[in-house]
Amino acid sequence: MSAQSVTKPEPAPRWWQDDLLHDFLRSPVALTAALLTVAIVAIAVGADVVAPYDSNDPASANLIDARLPPGSIGLIGNRYLLGTDPLGRDMLSAIIFGLRTSLMVGAASVLLAAAIGITLGLICGYFRGLLDTIVMRIADLQLSFPAILIALLIDGVTRTVVDRGTHDRLAIPVLIAAIAASYWVQYARTVRGLVLVERGKEYVLAARVTGVSPLRIIATHIQPNVMGPVFVVATINMSLAILTEATLSFLGVGVPPTKPSLGSLVRIGNEFLFSGDWWISIFPGAMLVVLCLAVNLLGDWLRDALNPKLSDG
Amino acid sequence: MGTFIVQRISQTLFVVLGAALASFALLRYVGDPVNNMVGQAASLAERDAMRRALGLDDPVILQFFHFLRDVAVGDLGISYSFGVPVVRLLWERLPATVELSVCAMLVATLLGVPLGVWTALHRRSVLSHVLLVVSLIGVALPTFLIGIVFILIFSVWLGWLPSFGRGATVAIGQSWTTGLLTVSGLKALVLPSLTLGLFQMTLIMRLVRAEMLEVLRTDYIKFARARGLPSATINYDHALRNTLIPVVTVVGLQFGNIFAFSIIVEAVFQWPGLGLLVIQSIQFADVPLLASYLVLIAFGFALINLAVDLIYAAIDPRVRADMTISRAVS
Amino acid sequence: MAEALLSVRNLRVEIVTRRATLLAVDDVSFDIAEGEVLGVVGESGAGKSITGNAIIGLIDPPLRRAGGEIAYAGKRIDNLDAETMRTLRGRHIGAVFQDPLTSLNPLLTVGRQLVQTIITHLDLSGSEARKRAVQLLAEVGFPAPRERLDCYPHELSGGMRQRVVLALAFCCEPNLIIADEPTTALDVSVQAQVIKLFRRMCRERGTSVMLITHDMGVISEISDRVAVMYAGRVVEIGTARAVLNAPAHPYTRGLMASIPTVQRTKSELPQIAGNMPRLAAVPSGCAFHPRCPCRLPRCDRERPVLAPAGETQSVCWLTATRDDTASIEAARDA
Repeated sequence: MSAQSVTKPEPAPRWWQDDLLHDFLRSPVALTAALLTVAIVAIAVGADVVAPYDSNDPASANLIDARLPPGSIGLIGNRYLLGTDPLGRDMLSAIIFGLRTSLMVGAASVLLAAAIGITLGLICGYFRGLLDTIVMRIADLQLSFPAILIALLIDGVTRTVVDRGTHDRLAIPVLIAAIAASYWVQYARTVRGLVLVERGKEYVLAARVTGVSPLRIIATHIQPNVMGPVFVVATINMSLAILTEATLSFLGVGVPPTKPSLGSLVRIGNEFLFSGDWWISIFPGAMLVVLCLAVNLLGDWLRDALNPKLSDG
Repeated sequence: MGTFIVQRISQTLFVVLGAALASFALLRYVGDPVNNMVGQAASLAERDAMRRALGLDDPVILQFFHFLRDVAVGDLGISYSFGVPVVRLLWERLPATVELSVCAMLVATLLGVPLGVWTALHRRSVLSHVLLVVSLIGVALPTFLIGIVFILIFSVWLGWLPSFGRGATVAIGQSWTTGLLTVSGLKALVLPSLTLGLFQMTLIMRLVRAEMLEVLRTDYIKFARARGLPSATINYDHALRNTLIPVVTVVGLQFGNIFAFSIIVEAVFQWPGLGLLVIQSIQFADVPLLASYLVLIAFGFALINLAVDLIYAAIDPRVRADMTISRAVS
Repeated sequence: MAEALLSVRNLRVEIVTRRATLLAVDDVSFDIAEGEVLGVVGESGAGKSITGNAIIGLIDPPLRRAGGEIAYAGKRIDNLDAETMRTLRGRHIGAVFQDPLTSLNPLLTVGRQLVQTIITHLDLSGSEARKRAVQLLAEVGFPAPRERLDCYPHELSGGMRQRVVLALAFCCEPNLIIADEPTTALDVSVQAQVIKLFRRMCRERGTSVMLITHDMGVISEISDRVAVMYAGRVVEIGTARAVLNAPAHPYTRGLMASIPTVQRTKSELPQIAGNMPRLAAVPSGCAFHPRCPCRLPRCDRERPVLAPAGETQSVCWLTATRDDTASIEAARDA
């Protein structure tokens, strides 16, 4: 015996009244982070144009200008805003190109991890059975190990197995694969959970009963619902992937010397700390931090905003 | 409770076995073990003899069992790059890593938990916001960079603390060496522990804060307030107790993270521990070393997870109840 | 007239959101006499719980008290500092909340939670507090109270847990209890037992109760007087018998008519068309006027005030225009 009334539907809000956009435009943090990320990506993509010197060109390295502090001018009048490295290359250019490598490896690993994770999540969630049990077991086990360790061991073991000659050629693909292998689990689990939920819904059951092929069901019904949460996972994952690559490169088991990333640049500078040439390590490091911070902030804000909010009343 | 322990132990064994298999595959199929043992100049007869001695003619399954047996008794082969038994190497380096990890964990917990509680209880203070911003940056900072910055400030510019090595160590018993008993040893521990612990500390702080805020929103806290209990009782006897339960699990699992990141810190500070060893093993393709490390890691992690589960059960009465129920039903 | 134990006057509680400040409780006034049970009914979202929380001072941001006075035993309690308010809670004003599953700390034993509360407010030693706790548990119906002291909440059923909650609410002998949906989360079979227990404990101690619920059955069983809330306002108030059997306000009439009873012979259950308005969109004038079958032209312009109406007092132009202005003023000052 209680008091109830009849419900009445309300008109749906227009997209410019959308809460998400509203919050985004009013949050200075989110805007700054977004602009920063866009700027960084633009610089990295346009590295050839933006960088004052071409790091990939051996001619740009002037040994005579080696290890000059920031702001110096070289022997033939080159301006080195952030100093030079042990080979006489401009730090600013090296950082810009290194940024490109870092971003590329990071993005590629995230994409690969997502691809593996989503596929496995979809298959396991939809078809269940033995495959599901095995994959989820492996996933659980893998989660009990830190990702960096898994990436390191996969990378390390592969290097040990492959002979010296092909090391450099395969370094980056192996690196991407190693990082992806350490992060796929989160995607798989998220997707699988969502698939399990959708699968139980009546419209999916109806489609299955009428003989619609599983592929169509997955593609049309399930996959659209999955993309939102996957995107959230990817934003968290991105900075982790970038950091993992930087760490592996710093340890010397990441990118090859021919294609330095921000992490390997720090490695190069590490030897010269005691001679006081701090800029060789610190500037690439600072760039790394700024990059990760921007990606993190954007991701944090996105996650908070996408959370179901309390409605008024 | 009994079935629970048995289940978890069997899981542990499963993991270790899997790692052992991977190890075995590495050892057996990477390069030629015979070549590595006898060198290029050996004759065919010598090679054959070596093959038989190493048991390489036996069926694979048998070889695997021999491998397992060897691991169980501690015979992990001879390191290619150091030329000494792997097990001796591991044993020598273990204390350094353990001391570093434990100190880092202490730093992280003893700073992280109180800071997390404080920022939860004083949400609006300026210091709270500052700490949160700092912790936000902390998550984006790679561990190796923190180490480098510390070295720059405290070793290069200020000259207060050493930047590599363990300092003078003291041997305890037959196998343990510690740096805690000498001044130089303690000094050498400071920067690496801080570096290793800082990342964990920010994590723990944010976790404790989030958990505490969640707990403070619950009905039982509301009811406690409605009963007029003093805030100290509510915050520490009620809220903190409920906060620490999930935190304990995470902290326990973080030990694994600490161990993984110790590899990086050891590389930055040239700390003579297991981490440095594994990097060298990768660089020199030292297969026995790498393979043994795999097994050791798997075992260590499985052990940590088991310990955490058991501690969790000891603290949370609801988990104990679940276990007794499942035992009664099964 | 004897001074009321609890006196609420023109209480206003606001919700501060990013876009606007909304009014969750709008000019609510009522009294509770000693030993009296006031039932506060209304739909979900009418502001009943927030009113109860405001009385015991458990209003947290984004909610804030924005006006009005609350007096307990003649003294104002809405402007007390936090520490003084805390000494009042549990000792003078107790509370019982809805969900027994979440009202008790899962990590502390029942005995520990009881003893802690007793020691906070009463000057008893540990063992005396334990004795008292055992007595309370026996009173709420535990067969082996001494053993139950060491039980954890998850070891008890929902009904038993709510009994523990009752024990906790009564353990320091408060004079007033705010009961917010005390039986809603319980199984129907258990509800009756718990309500009877509650009524017995209140009668024996002469405790006043503000009983917040949307369950009419509970209201009719133990309330002396009833207040009806709608969209954050009180729309009708009177004795239980009057409000339930002869309501004056169109909303209350609609509520009572929509309760299914065994005697009903009609086939269709009458409903009140529409919804209670969202806080961001409360209608002008009388909040109920868009849904009211007896709407007058002035109802959307002028907000009605409390006035006598038949056997109850009602906030409605329809009933008010039957009396003269003087008695409206008199009703407001009463």
